[in-house]
Amino acid sequence: MRSTFRRGEMSLAEPAPLAVTRSGPPRLNVLQRFIAGFKASLPAYLLLLPSLIFLAAFTYGAVGRVIVDALYQRATPRAPSRFVGLDNLVAVLADPAFTGAVINNLLYAVGTVVPSMALAFLFALALSRTNAVTSALRAALFLPVLIPMVAASALFLFIFLPNVGLLDHYIGRLLPVLPNWLGDPDIALVAIMVITIWKNAGYYMLFFLAGLQAVPEDAMEASYLDGAGPWQRLRYIILPELKPTFLFVTVIAGLNAVTQVDHVFVLTQGGPSNATNLVLFYIYEQAVEHYDVGKASAATLLSLGVLMGLTALSFRTLANREGGP
Amino acid sequence: MLLSRRLALGLTIAGALAFPAFAEGPTEIDLFFPVPVDGKLARDMGTMIKEFNETHPEVKATAVYTGSYDDTLIKTRAAIKAGKPPAAVIMSANFLLDMQIENELTNLDSLIAADGTTKAQFLGQFFPALHGNAVINRSVYGVPFHNSTPLLYINAEHAKEAGLDPDKPPQTWAEVTEWAKKLTKREGDKVTRWGIEIPCAYDYCGWMMETLTMSNGGRYYNEEFGGEVYYDTPSMLGALSWWNDLIAKHKVHPPGATPGPAVSTAFISGNASMMMLSTGSLTYVRDNAKFPYKVAFIPRNVRNAVPIGGASLIIPAGLEADKQKAAWTLIKWMTSPEKSGWWSRATGYFAPNMAAYKTPEMLDFLGKNPDAKTAVDQLEVAKPWFATYKTVPVRKTLEDEVMLVLNAKKQPKDALAAAQKAADELLKPYNAETALKLP
Repeated sequence: MRSTFRRGEMSLAEPAPLAVTRSGPPRLNVLQRFIAGFKASLPAYLLLLPSLIFLAAFTYGAVGRVIVDALYQRATPRAPSRFVGLDNLVAVLADPAFTGAVINNLLYAVGTVVPSMALAFLFALALSRTNAVTSALRAALFLPVLIPMVAASALFLFIFLPNVGLLDHYIGRLLPVLPNWLGDPDIALVAIMVITIWKNAGYYMLFFLAGLQAVPEDAMEASYLDGAGPWQRLRYIILPELKPTFLFVTVIAGLNAVTQVDHVFVLTQGGPSNATNLVLFYIYEQAVEHYDVGKASAATLLSLGVLMGLTALSFRTLANREGGP
Repeated sequence: MLLSRRLALGLTIAGALAFPAFAEGPTEIDLFFPVPVDGKLARDMGTMIKEFNETHPEVKATAVYTGSYDDTLIKTRAAIKAGKPPAAVIMSANFLLDMQIENELTNLDSLIAADGTTKAQFLGQFFPALHGNAVINRSVYGVPFHNSTPLLYINAEHAKEAGLDPDKPPQTWAEVTEWAKKLTKREGDKVTRWGIEIPCAYDYCGWMMETLTMSNGGRYYNEEFGGEVYYDTPSMLGALSWWNDLIAKHKVHPPGATPGPAVSTAFISGNASMMMLSTGSLTYVRDNAKFPYKVAFIPRNVRNAVPIGGASLIIPAGLEADKQKAAWTLIKWMTSPEKSGWWSRATGYFAPNMAAYKTPEMLDFLGKNPDAKTAVDQLEVAKPWFATYKTVPVRKTLEDEVMLVLNAKKQPKDALAAAQKAADELLKPYNAETALKLP
């Protein structure tokens, strides 16, 4: 998102003179043209310099380091690191724990993005009019967003406690066999998903609320006059108007599904038997438990590539929809 | 007045900033400490360090809480990598070998020699069962600080109700199975009280597997060499099969993997009548159980044997000399008979320093709480804790498979074969450099 903004600013700062020079002497030296262009946009670069320095130090520098690290590996514990090319990438792709983590992450992404967005949309529809009651309900639904994920996970640790936890205390009476919520590989990932949905639905609701405010009044009024029912209004006016919001929230939610692993860390540590191992947790495991920086960097690059691809794709679609370039 | 005080303060700060070398104060050191079991260990650690700082003006130690044993290893390694290692760490006793292989530990031999003691004298203070995890290649790398063995905890009230004598606890797996069957309560198919619970979460699960394997005659790993584990063996197969039978066949143990705190909560709340847990949880159980309980040796199938657990104090590599010296002062103070005994009474861990059991406070305490003696008595049959190259990942290969068995997803035999294969793969680089590096 930041980079699109910056490109916008730069094109503003590259004014018309450039085009004039180009059309004057037709076969001008490329270097000269470059210098001229650079001179013209120098103020823009100067203005960008402070943030560029910090981005270079904390973002691009780190990315560069990861790329370098991904190419090195030590053969034996005491041997020095040596260049191995793409061996680390191959090793990551061949690791069943990584493919397992990718599958878990896909399940987790679908299982959290779809329900939390559906809930968020329903909440927003129900609470779109502002009065005392809806304001209170909005605040209540937004509350989980304010609790840090780590603290929320620690709470759920007690809720999910087998036999004596809050959940078993109430639901346990109804079930013949008490489930071991976090200790059963079939249930653990679902338990993790439930926390994520609970935590994020309120956040996404905000975007839908904002989107609903932007639905044009005249279109709604016209639909009333034409006798459209609630379903038709939803289907033909609200949903089309909210398409950009849906797209935006999908991207945010998708990114969250990859970048939030606090609850995995607190509740299951990726277990039992890797059932809740997500890609980011896999990277963490490789880096700090296996002490394998090369493999961790390679896995980071892979997921970074996929994320950047997805983001670029969705924002291009978004831009197209809004009549951009 | 106010102005001059401000001025003086300002000058002091300016002076301290300008001439850091002249600002002579106590040597400041960090101590990383984990809280691996139930209880109020963090507060007790604060009390202990405060007393140290009061009695040692030349050193200012700060206790830094670093999570579980596994987390403490990770954070220590991150600090070493960042070039700012803590001066001392309470490190899980079985991580020392892996750290030594990675050149992350200070060899303590020279510090011991500088005190005018021999290695034999120094080690002689501690229970012999603890030496295995503190000495690597005949050099001392760790000082035992708080140690444990697994125990069998029994709810004496439930036992009496079921017509069992809690003063004659079960001594064999067969007897435990019988006890667990009698102690389990059912309403139709639904179990309302479990006969026994054994914890299984990362870290605890591996330790319990070693406990069961050792009492079944096995070894789990090669005590002399960090490149071998014995997962796919009859002794471990028997251990895992019995654990599986308690769940699937006898239905006296809850299915799935249950973490340590959930097990102790179930025991305290009367939901489980027996549990196998670290002696480190003893104080927590003593403070919270509202019923009489008994602790006993881990029962045997082939022989009585248990691994030690707990942690040693280590000094990471790459420290300045003055910090190393300050850390050594702190370590010696913390492992002295008096402090060792105090920490033992506060936590439930046994005191590794044998002299602690001759202090009057300890004799008095044992008189009042004879249950604290069981873990010490069990030391006679205790053996070192598994330690290999890449201890944590190698341990996890077994734990992941054990969890599948406890969840009825895999048969013990297949699970152990898979765990062995994965562990061998992880150990390969180390073996290539050691046992398989031929002239």
